[in-house]
Amino acid sequence: MARPLWSGSLSFGLVNVPVVLYSAVRDRGVHFSQLHEPDGSPIQTRRMCVLEEREVPWNEIAKGYEMEDGSWVLLSDEDLAAAAPRKSHTIDIEAFVEEREIDPIYLDRPYLLVPENESAARAYALLGEAMGDSGKVALGRFVMRAKEHLVSIRPRGELLTLTTMRFHDEVRADADVAAEIDVEAVPGSEQIENAIAIIAELEVPFEPAAYRDEHRAHLQRLIKRKQKGQKISVAPAVEKPKPKAAPTAPDLMGALEQSLARIRGESSGTGKKKAKKTRTSPPVPRQSGSSVKRPS
Amino acid sequence: MPRSLWNGTISFGLVRVPVKLHTATESKSISFRERHVSDGAAIEHRRVCVAEDREVPHSEIAKGFEVSSGSYVMLSKEEIAAAEGPEAHVIDVEHFVDGQEIDPAYYERAYYLSPGKLGDEAYRTLHSALKTSGKVGIGRFLFHGKAHLAAVRALKDVIVLHTMRFADEFVNPRELEIAKADKQPSKLEIDTARLLVDQLVASFEPDAYENSYRAAVLGVIEQKARGEKIQAPQSQEQTGEGELLSALRASLEDDGHARKRRRPASGKPQPAGKAPRSSGGAPRSPKGAVRGRGRTRGEG
Repeated sequence: MARPLWSGSLSFGLVNVPVVLYSAVRDRGVHFSQLHEPDGSPIQTRRMCVLEEREVPWNEIAKGYEMEDGSWVLLSDEDLAAAAPRKSHTIDIEAFVEEREIDPIYLDRPYLLVPENESAARAYALLGEAMGDSGKVALGRFVMRAKEHLVSIRPRGELLTLTTMRFHDEVRADADVAAEIDVEAVPGSEQIENAIAIIAELEVPFEPAAYRDEHRAHLQRLIKRKQKGQKISVAPAVEKPKPKAAPTAPDLMGALEQSLARIRGESSGTGKKKAKKTRTSPPVPRQSGSSVKRPS
Repeated sequence: MPRSLWNGTISFGLVRVPVKLHTATESKSISFRERHVSDGAAIEHRRVCVAEDREVPHSEIAKGFEVSSGSYVMLSKEEIAAAEGPEAHVIDVEHFVDGQEIDPAYYERAYYLSPGKLGDEAYRTLHSALKTSGKVGIGRFLFHGKAHLAAVRALKDVIVLHTMRFADEFVNPRELEIAKADKQPSKLEIDTARLLVDQLVASFEPDAYENSYRAAVLGVIEQKARGEKIQAPQSQEQTGEGELLSALRASLEDDGHARKRRRPASGKPQPAGKAPRSSGGAPRSPKGAVRGRGRTRGEG
């Protein structure tokens, strides 16, 4: 069972609801340990005090902050909790905003908020009911793991989900990036229309489960083969098809027109359905070349 | 000119758009270093071979996957790279979707894209097409040795890419123990709560929310540097079930308070070390139901 990452109360007006927070995601990646190559034994990371030249346990480690004069101030978790006592224990709902007003750039990590006990469950359900399907989310702030978070809270079924968000000064302006774009390279209107047509042809409803992490599966297969003592040829054993006639894009316009012709030819009038069908089919190894499934 | 983190190509249809990836976000949290409590000395992380009990240089370290307790399969960098396949530098946009359909929980990190070499025209074509259609491209790509689902969409002037989580990374809420209410909220309670929601409706103005904790932590650091004692926080409170409606009504009447919180007093750092939340602290009932009226913190 997952362990809560934080517990405290969710405060809405003068209503306080004790809640606990769980991560809404778990890391499914393939994780490697460090090994000593010559003898294959595991590597341990030891925290050493450089003064005493000895390993120190976790409970002897403090958070250090370097002052301007080069001296260090050591803080404990309790000291940090005292910096914002209320925020460390309470998520204060400050406002309700339209969800679509929040640009996804602000979003960080998703969590599940759960009532701490039965007596909290009714007030918890009440907040969900009050937001209902209004399209509004609650905004608040709180402190977790010595970091303040702006959060948005939204109902999902009977649960409330919480997403940590970035503060406005943590989102960089895009002006530097925009300045890199060549203003002279103006695309023709026909080009843009073709690109829009391609987008329309490839449009499907968002079905997240249809996309699988094939790289993860790949690594897992590789580990299995290696475990059985098979050799891994560095040029992948599964012969990757050579980039299919490296989609010869003579020019941008040509590539756009050819793409459209291919997609339309392939789907023969049932564009969207076809696109969906291909996607839910069993994972094929990443096709090199175009994103258009297999030129027929 | 911003440094790029990754160079590659967005492919959609037969069109290939050379792009560079730039970070769109940066953490502004105060960062700390590990120090030894007793002598204040720096802590160093050393890699030690367990068998030989000696520190080993980075060059002697390989990656291993633990197949069972204590038993590893060792993989070289080349073998791991082989799993990436030849398309490691392509963001393969497979579909386009309506952004409204994407649950925000899928969004992971945001990056700005700029055109790669000779890619300006293709970049601007894709930007215009995304912007005009309002759609979001969905594809997959490898970044930092991990496959990501990616969403590509247009901002006013640039294309932004979000790494996204795969569907199987989400925890099934059924795995959690979730306390159930023995009694659902009444209609009157819900109606009253809705009034309170309405009262707090605002438009999203990101800069109205300052990270005031940063200043508070700096305050504590200064206090500590002067050798002052830091006061510990108090425990939390809970609105009892029977008090739900009265708390809601009191919240509505407390309109001045609500209005104040709508546009949060920006950047007002809580004076560090100030006595946390007054309130005499009503005694906790066995069920932990404590009256939640102690909202007398500094800014109230």
